[in-house]
Amino acid sequence: MNLLAHPELLELLAASHALGTLRGGARRRFETLAREQAPVRAAALVWQGRLASMTELQQPVTPDPAVWTRIRNLIDAEQAQQALARQRDAAMPLTAPSTTTTGGWLRSLALWRGAAAAGAFVAVLAVGVGLNLREQLINAPAVQYVAVLSDDKAAASMLVTFDPKKKQLVLQRVGNFREGTDKSLQLWALPPGGAPRSLGVLDNAPALRLAASESDVRVPALAISLEPKGGVPSAGGPTGPVLFHGPLIEKTL
Amino acid sequence: MPHNPPMTAPSPDAELMALIDRIGHRDEAALRQLYDRTSPRLMGLAMRVVRQREWAEDVLQESFLTVWRVAADYRASLSPPMAWLGLIVRSRSLDLLRRRTADRAQLTQEFDELMADTFESDTPNPADMADAGEQAWALHQCLSQLEGRQREVVSLAYLRELSHSELAEQLKLPLGTVKTWIRRGLDKLRTCMGRFA
Repeated sequence: MNLLAHPELLELLAASHALGTLRGGARRRFETLAREQAPVRAAALVWQGRLASMTELQQPVTPDPAVWTRIRNLIDAEQAQQALARQRDAAMPLTAPSTTTTGGWLRSLALWRGAAAAGAFVAVLAVGVGLNLREQLINAPAVQYVAVLSDDKAAASMLVTFDPKKKQLVLQRVGNFREGTDKSLQLWALPPGGAPRSLGVLDNAPALRLAASESDVRVPALAISLEPKGGVPSAGGPTGPVLFHGPLIEKTL
Repeated sequence: MPHNPPMTAPSPDAELMALIDRIGHRDEAALRQLYDRTSPRLMGLAMRVVRQREWAEDVLQESFLTVWRVAADYRASLSPPMAWLGLIVRSRSLDLLRRRTADRAQLTQEFDELMADTFESDTPNPADMADAGEQAWALHQCLSQLEGRQREVVSLAYLRELSHSELAEQLKLPLGTVKTWIRRGLDKLRTCMGRFA
Protein backbone atom coordinates (compact mmCIF):
# COMPACT_ATOMS: atom_id res chain seq x y z
CA MET A 1 0.00 0.00 0.00
CA ASN A 2 1.22 3.46 -0.79
CA LEU A 3 1.25 5.14 2.60
CA LEU A 4 1.63 8.60 1.10
CA ALA A 5 -1.81 8.25 -0.45
CA HIS A 6 -3.28 7.63 3.00
CA PRO A 7 -2.10 10.50 5.19
CA GLU A 8 -4.25 9.50 8.16
CA LEU A 9 -2.89 5.96 8.19
CA LEU A 10 0.64 7.31 7.83
CA GLU A 11 0.09 9.54 10.85
CA LEU A 12 -1.37 6.72 12.89
CA LEU A 13 1.52 4.40 12.07
CA ALA A 14 4.04 7.13 12.85
CA ALA A 15 2.29 7.80 16.16
CA SER A 16 2.21 4.08 17.08
CA HIS A 17 5.86 3.82 16.13
CA ALA A 18 6.78 6.72 18.40
CA LEU A 19 4.56 5.41 21.17
CA GLY A 20 6.32 2.05 20.94
CA THR A 21 3.21 -0.03 20.41
CA LEU A 22 3.98 -0.73 16.76
CA ARG A 23 5.92 -3.97 17.05
CA GLY A 24 7.36 -6.88 15.12
CA GLY A 25 6.98 -7.08 11.34
CA ALA A 26 4.75 -4.00 11.15
CA ARG A 27 7.43 -1.96 12.88
CA ARG A 28 10.16 -3.24 10.58
CA ARG A 29 8.09 -2.53 7.46
CA PHE A 30 7.34 0.99 8.66
CA GLU A 31 11.01 1.64 9.39
CA THR A 32 12.00 0.39 5.95
CA LEU A 33 9.48 2.76 4.36
CA ALA A 34 10.80 5.61 6.53
CA ARG A 35 14.32 5.01 5.26
CA GLU A 36 13.11 5.01 1.65
CA GLN A 37 10.58 7.87 1.71
CA ALA A 38 11.30 11.26 3.24
CA PRO A 39 7.66 12.11 4.08
CA VAL A 40 7.35 8.87 6.07
CA ARG A 41 10.61 9.64 7.84
CA ALA A 42 9.39 13.16 8.60
CA ALA A 43 6.12 11.89 10.08
CA ALA A 44 8.05 9.44 12.29
CA LEU A 45 10.35 12.20 13.58
CA VAL A 46 7.49 14.62 14.20
CA TRP A 47 5.69 12.06 16.33
CA GLN A 48 8.85 11.16 18.23
CA GLY A 49 9.16 14.81 19.16
CA ARG A 50 5.51 15.16 20.10
CA LEU A 51 5.42 12.15 22.38
CA ALA A 52 8.81 12.88 23.93
CA SER A 53 7.03 15.67 25.80
CA MET A 54 5.14 13.00 27.72
CA THR A 55 8.11 12.95 30.08
CA GLU A 56 7.35 16.56 31.06
CA LEU A 57 3.76 15.98 32.05
CA GLN A 58 4.14 13.93 35.20
CA GLN A 59 3.24 15.12 38.68
CA PRO A 60 6.29 16.60 40.40
CA VAL A 61 7.66 14.68 43.38
CA THR A 62 10.27 16.24 45.65
CA PRO A 63 13.26 13.91 46.00
CA ASP A 64 14.96 13.32 49.33
CA PRO A 65 17.75 15.88 49.95
CA ALA A 66 20.22 12.98 50.25
CA VAL A 67 19.92 12.41 46.49
CA TRP A 68 21.67 15.67 45.72
CA THR A 69 24.35 14.90 48.32
CA ARG A 70 25.00 11.58 46.62
CA ILE A 71 25.21 13.20 43.20
CA ARG A 72 27.61 15.86 44.46
CA ASN A 73 29.78 13.30 46.23
CA LEU A 74 30.04 11.11 43.16
CA ILE A 75 30.93 14.09 41.00
CA ASP A 76 33.50 15.31 43.51
CA ALA A 77 35.00 11.83 43.54
CA GLU A 78 35.17 11.78 39.77
CA GLN A 79 36.80 15.22 39.74
CA ALA A 80 39.26 14.17 42.46
CA GLN A 81 40.27 11.10 40.48
CA GLN A 82 40.89 13.22 37.41
CA ALA A 83 42.82 15.76 39.49
CA LEU A 84 44.85 12.91 40.95
CA ALA A 85 45.72 11.62 37.52
CA ARG A 86 46.90 15.10 36.56
CA GLN A 87 48.82 15.43 39.82
CA ARG A 88 50.55 12.13 39.25
CA ASP A 89 51.80 13.31 35.91
CA ALA A 90 52.82 16.68 37.30
CA ALA A 91 54.45 15.27 40.44
CA MET A 92 56.52 12.64 38.69
CA PRO A 93 59.78 14.62 38.45
CA LEU A 94 59.38 15.99 41.98
CA THR A 95 59.23 12.81 43.96
CA ALA A 96 62.90 12.54 44.93
CA PRO A 97 63.21 13.22 48.67
CA SER A 98 65.52 15.95 49.75
CA THR A 99 67.62 16.17 52.88
CA THR A 100 67.48 19.95 53.06
CA THR A 101 64.53 20.81 55.22
CA THR A 102 62.64 23.70 53.64
CA GLY A 103 63.50 22.77 50.06
CA GLY A 104 62.34 19.24 50.69
CA TRP A 105 59.08 20.46 52.13
CA LEU A 106 58.33 22.75 49.25
CA ARG A 107 59.22 20.16 46.71
CA SER A 108 56.93 17.71 48.40
CA LEU A 109 53.94 19.98 47.98
CA ALA A 110 52.87 18.33 44.76
CA LEU A 111 52.95 15.00 46.54
CA TRP A 112 50.87 16.37 49.37
CA ARG A 113 48.32 17.64 46.99
CA GLY A 114 48.27 14.34 45.17
CA ALA A 115 47.77 12.48 48.41
CA ALA A 116 45.01 14.84 49.43
CA ALA A 117 43.26 14.36 46.11
CA ALA A 118 43.50 10.58 46.42
CA GLY A 119 42.15 10.90 49.90
CA ALA A 120 39.27 13.10 48.86
CA PHE A 121 37.96 10.16 46.92
CA VAL A 122 38.11 7.99 50.01
CA ALA A 123 36.48 10.66 52.14
CA VAL A 124 33.65 10.93 49.66
CA LEU A 125 33.08 7.20 49.85
CA ALA A 126 33.08 7.48 53.62
CA VAL A 127 30.40 10.15 53.45
CA GLY A 128 28.40 7.94 51.14
CA VAL A 129 28.64 5.13 53.66
CA GLY A 130 27.67 7.50 56.44
CA LEU A 131 24.48 8.49 54.66
CA ASN A 132 23.27 4.96 54.62
CA LEU A 133 22.71 5.19 58.32
CA ARG A 134 19.85 2.77 58.63
CA GLU A 135 21.80 0.00 56.96
CA GLN A 136 24.77 0.75 59.18
CA LEU A 137 22.65 0.47 62.29
CA ILE A 138 21.22 -2.84 61.18
CA ASN A 139 24.57 -4.35 60.36
CA ALA A 140 26.44 -2.50 63.13
CA PRO A 141 29.88 -2.94 61.57
CA ALA A 142 33.07 -2.21 63.47
CA VAL A 143 34.62 0.54 61.44
CA GLN A 144 38.33 1.12 61.44
CA TYR A 145 40.41 3.60 59.59
CA VAL A 146 43.56 2.28 58.01
CA ALA A 147 46.36 4.00 56.18
CA VAL A 148 49.51 2.59 54.70
CA LEU A 149 52.02 5.38 54.49
CA SER A 150 54.61 4.91 51.83
CA ASP A 151 57.76 6.66 50.79
CA ASP A 152 58.30 8.12 47.37
CA LYS A 153 59.24 4.70 45.99
CA ALA A 154 55.83 3.41 47.10
CA ALA A 155 57.49 1.16 49.68
CA ALA A 156 55.23 0.77 52.69
CA SER A 157 56.90 2.29 55.74
CA MET A 158 54.21 2.85 58.31
CA LEU A 159 50.91 1.17 59.00
CA VAL A 160 48.36 3.38 60.73
CA THR A 161 45.11 2.11 62.19
CA PHE A 162 42.50 4.00 64.13
CA ASP A 163 40.20 2.35 66.62
CA PRO A 164 37.17 4.62 67.13
CA LYS A 165 36.08 2.78 70.27
CA LYS A 166 39.39 3.33 72.06
CA LYS A 167 39.94 6.65 70.27
CA GLN A 168 43.43 5.55 69.53
CA LEU A 169 45.76 5.78 66.57
CA VAL A 170 48.21 2.91 66.38
CA LEU A 171 51.28 3.34 64.25
CA GLN A 172 53.54 0.47 63.33
CA ARG A 173 56.81 0.84 61.52
CA VAL A 174 57.00 -1.66 58.72
CA GLY A 175 59.96 -0.29 56.79
CA ASN A 176 63.50 0.05 58.07
CA PHE A 177 63.67 3.82 58.12
CA ARG A 178 65.25 5.17 61.32
CA GLU A 179 65.47 8.86 61.94
CA GLY A 180 68.63 10.36 63.47
CA THR A 181 68.75 10.93 67.23
CA ASP A 182 68.34 14.67 66.74
CA LYS A 183 65.16 14.20 64.67
CA SER A 184 61.56 13.18 65.26
CA LEU A 185 58.87 11.92 62.95
CA GLN A 186 55.61 13.86 63.11
CA LEU A 187 52.20 12.61 61.93
CA TRP A 188 49.89 15.01 60.10
CA ALA A 189 46.28 14.91 59.01
CA LEU A 190 45.70 16.40 55.57
CA PRO A 191 42.20 17.89 55.50
CA PRO A 192 40.86 18.60 52.01
CA GLY A 193 41.67 22.17 51.10
CA GLY A 194 42.99 22.94 54.59
CA ALA A 195 46.38 23.23 56.25
CA PRO A 196 48.02 20.06 57.60
CA ARG A 197 47.16 19.40 61.24
CA SER A 198 49.57 17.66 63.62
CA LEU A 199 48.29 14.42 65.13
CA GLY A 200 51.37 13.87 67.26
CA VAL A 201 55.09 13.19 67.39
CA LEU A 202 56.46 9.67 67.12
CA ASP A 203 59.14 8.28 69.39
CA ASN A 204 61.54 5.59 68.38
CA ALA A 205 59.43 2.63 69.48
CA PRO A 206 58.35 0.12 66.82
CA ALA A 207 54.67 0.61 67.73
CA LEU A 208 53.18 3.79 69.00
CA ARG A 209 49.76 4.79 70.24
CA LEU A 210 48.40 8.32 69.94
CA ALA A 211 45.13 9.52 71.41
CA ALA A 212 42.88 10.93 68.69
CA SER A 213 39.21 11.54 68.17
CA GLU A 214 37.33 10.27 65.15
CA SER A 215 36.94 13.81 63.84
CA ASP A 216 40.75 14.12 63.90
CA VAL A 217 41.12 11.21 61.54
CA ARG A 218 38.15 11.88 59.27
CA VAL A 219 40.56 13.23 56.71
CA PRO A 220 41.44 12.03 53.25
CA ALA A 221 45.11 11.40 53.89
CA LEU A 222 47.91 11.26 56.41
CA ALA A 223 51.55 12.12 56.08
CA ILE A 224 54.74 11.96 58.15
CA SER A 225 57.38 14.61 58.06
CA LEU A 226 60.91 14.64 59.46
CA GLU A 227 61.18 17.36 62.08
CA PRO A 228 63.63 18.59 64.72
CA LYS A 229 63.65 16.45 67.89
CA GLY A 230 60.31 16.79 69.70
CA GLY A 231 58.38 17.98 66.64
CA VAL A 232 57.06 21.39 65.64
CA PRO A 233 53.85 23.22 66.61
CA SER A 234 50.80 22.20 64.60
CA ALA A 235 49.89 25.75 63.63
CA GLY A 236 53.02 26.29 61.56
CA GLY A 237 52.65 23.08 59.60
CA PRO A 238 55.50 20.74 58.75
CA THR A 239 58.95 22.29 58.39
CA GLY A 240 60.82 19.20 57.25
CA PRO A 241 60.53 16.91 54.23
CA VAL A 242 57.55 14.63 53.87
CA LEU A 243 58.87 11.10 54.15
CA PHE A 244 55.72 9.06 54.01
CA HIS A 245 52.15 9.69 53.03
CA GLY A 246 49.06 7.79 52.06
CA PRO A 247 45.27 7.93 51.89
CA LEU A 248 43.19 6.99 54.89
CA ILE A 249 40.73 4.24 54.15
CA GLU A 250 37.61 3.49 56.09
CA LYS A 251 37.52 -0.24 56.57
CA THR A 252 34.60 -2.30 57.77
CA LEU A 253 35.79 -5.33 59.70
CA MET B 1 -9.16 26.30 25.35
CA PRO B 2 -5.87 28.19 25.78
CA HIS B 3 -3.39 27.24 23.10
CA ASN B 4 -0.50 29.41 24.10
CA PRO B 5 2.20 28.46 26.59
CA PRO B 6 2.36 30.68 29.65
CA MET B 7 4.37 33.81 28.99
CA THR B 8 7.50 34.25 31.04
CA ALA B 9 10.63 36.19 30.26
CA PRO B 10 13.26 35.05 29.58
CA SER B 11 11.93 31.76 28.31
CA PRO B 12 12.43 28.80 30.64
CA ASP B 13 13.95 26.87 27.75
CA ALA B 14 16.63 29.50 27.23
CA GLU B 15 17.50 29.47 30.93
CA LEU B 16 17.71 25.70 31.06
CA MET B 17 19.84 25.61 27.92
CA ALA B 18 22.21 28.16 29.41
CA LEU B 19 22.55 25.99 32.52
CA ILE B 20 23.23 22.87 30.44
CA ASP B 21 25.90 24.77 28.51
CA ARG B 22 27.59 25.77 31.76
CA ILE B 23 27.45 22.18 32.99
CA GLY B 24 29.18 21.22 29.77
CA HIS B 25 32.01 23.46 30.98
CA ARG B 26 32.18 21.61 34.30
CA ASP B 27 30.25 24.20 36.31
CA GLU B 28 29.01 22.38 39.41
CA ALA B 29 26.94 25.36 40.57
CA ALA B 30 25.01 25.19 37.30
CA LEU B 31 24.30 21.51 37.88
CA ARG B 32 22.93 22.39 41.29
CA GLN B 33 20.68 25.04 39.76
CA LEU B 34 19.46 22.67 37.09
CA TYR B 35 18.78 20.10 39.79
CA ASP B 36 16.82 22.58 41.87
CA ARG B 37 14.81 23.62 38.84
CA THR B 38 14.05 20.24 37.34
CA SER B 39 14.46 17.48 39.92
CA PRO B 40 10.86 17.43 41.22
CA ARG B 41 9.48 17.02 37.70
CA LEU B 42 12.12 14.46 36.71
CA MET B 43 11.61 12.63 39.99
CA GLY B 44 7.89 12.55 39.21
CA LEU B 45 8.70 11.01 35.82
CA ALA B 46 11.00 8.40 37.35
CA MET B 47 8.38 7.56 39.99
CA ARG B 48 5.82 7.08 37.27
CA VAL B 49 8.02 4.63 35.38
CA VAL B 50 9.63 2.65 38.22
CA ARG B 51 6.94 3.31 40.84
CA GLN B 52 9.14 2.96 43.92
CA ARG B 53 10.57 6.00 45.62
CA GLU B 54 13.92 4.39 46.39
CA TRP B 55 14.35 3.22 42.79
CA ALA B 56 13.23 6.57 41.44
CA GLU B 57 15.87 8.30 43.54
CA ASP B 58 18.52 5.94 42.18
CA VAL B 59 17.32 6.80 38.68
CA LEU B 60 17.46 10.51 39.45
CA GLN B 61 21.02 10.16 40.75
CA GLU B 62 22.18 8.22 37.69
CA SER B 63 20.42 10.66 35.39
CA PHE B 64 22.14 13.72 36.81
CA LEU B 65 25.51 11.98 36.63
CA THR B 66 24.71 11.29 32.97
CA VAL B 67 23.80 14.95 32.48
CA TRP B 68 27.12 15.95 34.07
CA ARG B 69 29.01 13.69 31.66
CA VAL B 70 27.16 14.40 28.42
CA ALA B 71 26.02 18.03 28.85
CA ALA B 72 28.68 19.18 26.41
CA ASP B 73 26.92 17.18 23.68
CA TYR B 74 23.50 18.65 24.39
CA ARG B 75 23.52 21.22 21.58
CA ALA B 76 23.87 18.46 19.01
CA SER B 77 20.65 16.80 20.17
CA LEU B 78 18.25 19.49 18.83
CA SER B 79 15.80 18.66 21.63
CA PRO B 80 14.14 21.19 23.92
CA PRO B 81 15.95 20.97 27.27
CA MET B 82 13.18 19.38 29.33
CA ALA B 83 12.53 16.80 26.62
CA TRP B 84 16.25 15.97 26.55
CA LEU B 85 16.36 15.59 30.33
CA GLY B 86 13.16 13.55 30.22
CA LEU B 87 14.63 11.17 27.65
CA ILE B 88 17.64 10.59 29.88
CA VAL B 89 15.47 9.90 32.93
CA ARG B 90 13.10 7.64 30.99
CA SER B 91 15.91 5.61 29.55
CA ARG B 92 17.63 5.26 32.97
CA SER B 93 14.27 4.27 34.47
CA LEU B 94 13.73 1.58 31.85
CA ASP B 95 17.30 0.32 32.41
CA LEU B 96 16.56 0.01 36.10
CA LEU B 97 13.28 -1.81 35.50
CA ARG B 98 15.01 -4.26 33.17
CA ARG B 99 17.73 -4.91 35.77
CA ARG B 100 15.22 -5.36 38.57
CA THR B 101 12.91 -7.65 36.63
CA ALA B 102 15.88 -9.77 35.60
CA ASP B 103 17.14 -9.81 39.21
CA ARG B 104 13.86 -10.81 40.68
CA ALA B 105 12.01 -13.00 38.23
CA GLN B 106 10.46 -14.76 41.21
CA LEU B 107 8.90 -11.50 42.35
CA THR B 108 7.10 -10.89 39.08
CA GLN B 109 3.74 -11.28 40.68
CA GLU B 110 4.49 -8.65 43.28
CA PHE B 111 5.99 -6.43 40.62
CA ASP B 112 2.86 -6.63 38.48
CA GLU B 113 0.70 -5.72 41.43
CA LEU B 114 2.94 -2.78 42.15
CA MET B 115 2.52 -1.60 38.59
CA ALA B 116 -1.19 -2.27 38.50
CA ASP B 117 -1.93 0.14 41.30
CA THR B 118 -0.78 3.01 39.14
CA PHE B 119 -3.78 2.71 36.90
CA GLU B 120 -5.60 5.75 38.11
CA SER B 121 -6.48 9.04 36.60
CA ASP B 122 -3.40 11.15 36.92
CA THR B 123 -4.04 14.41 35.18
CA PRO B 124 -1.15 16.82 35.38
CA ASN B 125 -2.07 20.18 36.78
CA PRO B 126 -1.56 22.98 34.23
CA ALA B 127 -0.46 25.29 37.04
CA ASP B 128 2.62 23.09 37.48
CA MET B 129 3.71 23.50 33.90
CA ALA B 130 5.78 26.65 34.19
CA ASP B 131 8.90 24.93 32.81
CA ALA B 132 7.17 22.84 30.18
CA GLY B 133 8.08 23.64 26.59
CA GLU B 134 5.55 24.52 23.87
CA GLN B 135 5.51 20.98 22.58
CA ALA B 136 4.67 19.70 26.06
CA TRP B 137 1.95 22.28 26.42
CA ALA B 138 0.34 21.12 23.18
CA LEU B 139 0.56 17.47 24.18
CA HIS B 140 -0.90 18.29 27.55
CA GLN B 141 -3.85 20.07 25.95
CA CYS B 142 -4.49 17.19 23.59
CA LEU B 143 -4.08 14.46 26.20
CA SER B 144 -6.55 16.22 28.44
CA GLN B 145 -9.18 15.71 25.72
CA LEU B 146 -8.88 11.96 26.12
CA GLU B 147 -10.98 10.08 28.58
CA GLY B 148 -8.99 9.37 31.80
CA ARG B 149 -8.33 5.68 31.27
CA GLN B 150 -7.45 6.12 27.59
CA ARG B 151 -4.97 8.78 28.59
CA GLU B 152 -3.47 6.44 31.17
CA VAL B 153 -3.01 3.60 28.73
CA VAL B 154 -1.38 5.86 26.15
CA SER B 155 0.90 7.46 28.76
CA LEU B 156 2.00 4.17 30.28
CA ALA B 157 2.62 2.60 26.87
CA TYR B 158 5.09 5.37 26.17
CA LEU B 159 6.65 5.90 29.57
CA ARG B 160 7.18 2.21 30.35
CA GLU B 161 7.75 1.09 26.75
CA LEU B 162 4.98 -1.50 27.00
CA SER B 163 3.39 -3.51 24.19
CA HIS B 164 -0.35 -3.99 23.89
CA SER B 165 -0.18 -7.36 25.61
CA GLU B 166 2.12 -6.14 28.38
CA LEU B 167 -0.29 -3.27 29.04
CA ALA B 168 -3.24 -5.65 29.11
CA GLU B 169 -1.40 -7.87 31.56
CA GLN B 170 -0.24 -5.08 33.87
CA LEU B 171 -3.51 -3.19 33.84
CA LYS B 172 -5.69 -6.31 34.02
CA LEU B 173 -7.63 -5.30 30.93
CA PRO B 174 -8.69 -7.35 27.90
CA LEU B 175 -6.17 -7.09 25.06
CA GLY B 176 -8.87 -5.88 22.65
CA THR B 177 -9.77 -3.04 24.98
CA VAL B 178 -6.17 -1.90 25.21
CA LYS B 179 -5.76 -1.97 21.44
CA THR B 180 -8.97 -0.01 20.92
CA TRP B 181 -8.14 2.63 23.51
CA ILE B 182 -4.67 3.15 22.13
CA ARG B 183 -5.93 3.42 18.59
CA ARG B 184 -8.68 5.87 19.54
CA GLY B 185 -6.34 7.79 21.78
CA LEU B 186 -3.75 8.20 19.04
CA ASP B 187 -6.44 9.16 16.57
CA LYS B 188 -7.65 11.97 18.83
CA LEU B 189 -4.08 13.07 19.47
CA ARG B 190 -3.45 13.15 15.73
CA THR B 191 -6.39 15.48 15.08
CA CYS B 192 -5.59 17.66 18.08
CA MET B 193 -1.81 17.86 17.62
CA GLY B 194 -2.33 18.76 13.98
CA ARG B 195 -3.83 22.04 15.14
CA PHE B 196 -0.66 22.93 17.01
CA ALA B 197 1.76 22.17 14.19
